[in-house]
Amino acid sequence: MMLDEPWALSPSVALRPEPFGALAYHFGNRRLTFLKRPELVAVVRALAKQPDVRSALANAGIPTSQHPAYVEALRGLAAADMIRPRVEEPR
Amino acid sequence: MTPTASTPLATATQAATDTAGEPLLAEDLIEEVSIDGMCGVY
Repeated sequence: MMLDEPWALSPSVALRPEPFGALAYHFGNRRLTFLKRPELVAVVRALAKQPDVRSALANAGIPTSQHPAYVEALRGLAAADMIRPRVEEPR
Repeated sequence: MTPTASTPLATATQAATDTAGEPLLAEDLIEEVSIDGMCGVY
């Protein structure tokens, strides 16, 4: 994982906007995670639309110096199945 | 004579530096909470 890989929000996850960022709730494993920065919410939402994580970070305006922290946070979300590797359809 | 004040200047300076230039951590971005045993959260 993961900067050059395509990822997306898990289909079982709902994001509820909050003043601090968002709540992510997984209806399958019933886990709840606070996304504590709006910028992280923007990254998570951008994942499905971008070719890889690096592009999602850039799209959300995250400075390169903060990429390691964001990647670590995304790893945490992946461990809880909040986000998943995106399977690209063969052409 | 050189003053030998016991003011923890280095500690204060360090604290200011930490506050100003604190690196972003994953813990600043996400926090997982357990809702086992809770009702009506969603």
